[in-house]
Amino acid sequence: MIATGATPVCPDLPGSDAVEICGVNTLQSGVELHRRLDAGNLKKAVVVGGGYIGLEMAEALVRRGLEVSLINRPPEVMDTLDQDMGQLVSQALRDLGVTLYLEETLTGFDTKQGKVTGVVTDKRSLPADMVILGLGVRPNTSLAAAAGIPLGEKGSIRVNDRMETGRAGIWAAGDCAESFHLVSRKPIHIALGTVANRHGRVAGINLGGGYATFPGVVGTAVTKICHVEVARTGLQEKELRKLGLEWVSAVIKSRTKAGYFPGAGEITVKVLAERGSGRLLGGQIVGMEGSAKRIDTLATALHAGFTVEEMINLDLGYAPPFSPVWDPVVTAAREAAKML
Amino acid sequence: MAPERLIVVGGDAAGMSAASQAKRRRPDLEIVVFEKSTHVSYSA
Repeated sequence: MIATGATPVCPDLPGSDAVEICGVNTLQSGVELHRRLDAGNLKKAVVVGGGYIGLEMAEALVRRGLEVSLINRPPEVMDTLDQDMGQLVSQALRDLGVTLYLEETLTGFDTKQGKVTGVVTDKRSLPADMVILGLGVRPNTSLAAAAGIPLGEKGSIRVNDRMETGRAGIWAAGDCAESFHLVSRKPIHIALGTVANRHGRVAGINLGGGYATFPGVVGTAVTKICHVEVARTGLQEKELRKLGLEWVSAVIKSRTKAGYFPGAGEITVKVLAERGSGRLLGGQIVGMEGSAKRIDTLATALHAGFTVEEMINLDLGYAPPFSPVWDPVVTAAREAAKML
Repeated sequence: MAPERLIVVGGDAAGMSAASQAKRRRPDLEIVVFEKSTHVSYSA
């Protein structure tokens, strides 16, 4: 059973030997980060990468009183959202006090006596007492490759529906293993704990003499930056473009509770549906408390292969403390249905 | 006869989920987990 996980990407750039924190992906890396924050008189932090790790670290460092800058290559942070939704997350970071440098590429690090003193991009040089990289992960597959086990998407270990590799008797699961995307119908590498738990369960049942299969993923993920919740599922526009699919998209603004109810916050929902057929292809949510987990309705609809029309009459729970009478995801599905 | 042995390389979410599922179904199975760090399954 190979469950070797994934390792944060550390780019080979001038000065990168001195970088101490490439990603925060284990309990131990979190402990070390804490130790460094407690020990030093650190003022300026630079986070490279605007994905989940970068955003969560930026928030944590701001809360610890550091002056935080974030460098991001795409035009907005959270590149797993479409730009119009990612822009809302970029704004949430600015509101938190993070200085964003968007559409800038990391080119190296300034160092002094083996320590990083700054981060260099194609546009500027930023002094830094602490640098954290959140540039994604690569599957740990050297053991599998050495054993001659076939690899797949992004070098992850190829597995069948039961999580067995191309070599009989050797199984793989988690961040080192490949998944199948139920919407694109293509292999995909997704390094998330949720997927790892499901992979492991299926592999273990089969290893114990039982029978289980893992049908695939729809690409669901949630995160939170201070008060702002972020969620996504399915395919985003750039993925649809690559697949040659045509789609309609609707973006709506609603409230997390009945509009008149105390504590109702804003929620923005985007729904993507296939042109003509109306098949739901994906969804994205940015909003206040009570927003993110609404993505689960869209994720379930993706698993079920629903069209946006089929979503309109979903019998979802409603009372004023929980939702407007039309759930925001259903409102977005209705708008998308009008555009087919 | 020596018991059948399952070797699990990696003791986090996927590895420990698999180990526990296999043990539940096959209590006779000898399971050995290798983990590089000092923590196992902190998120599973």
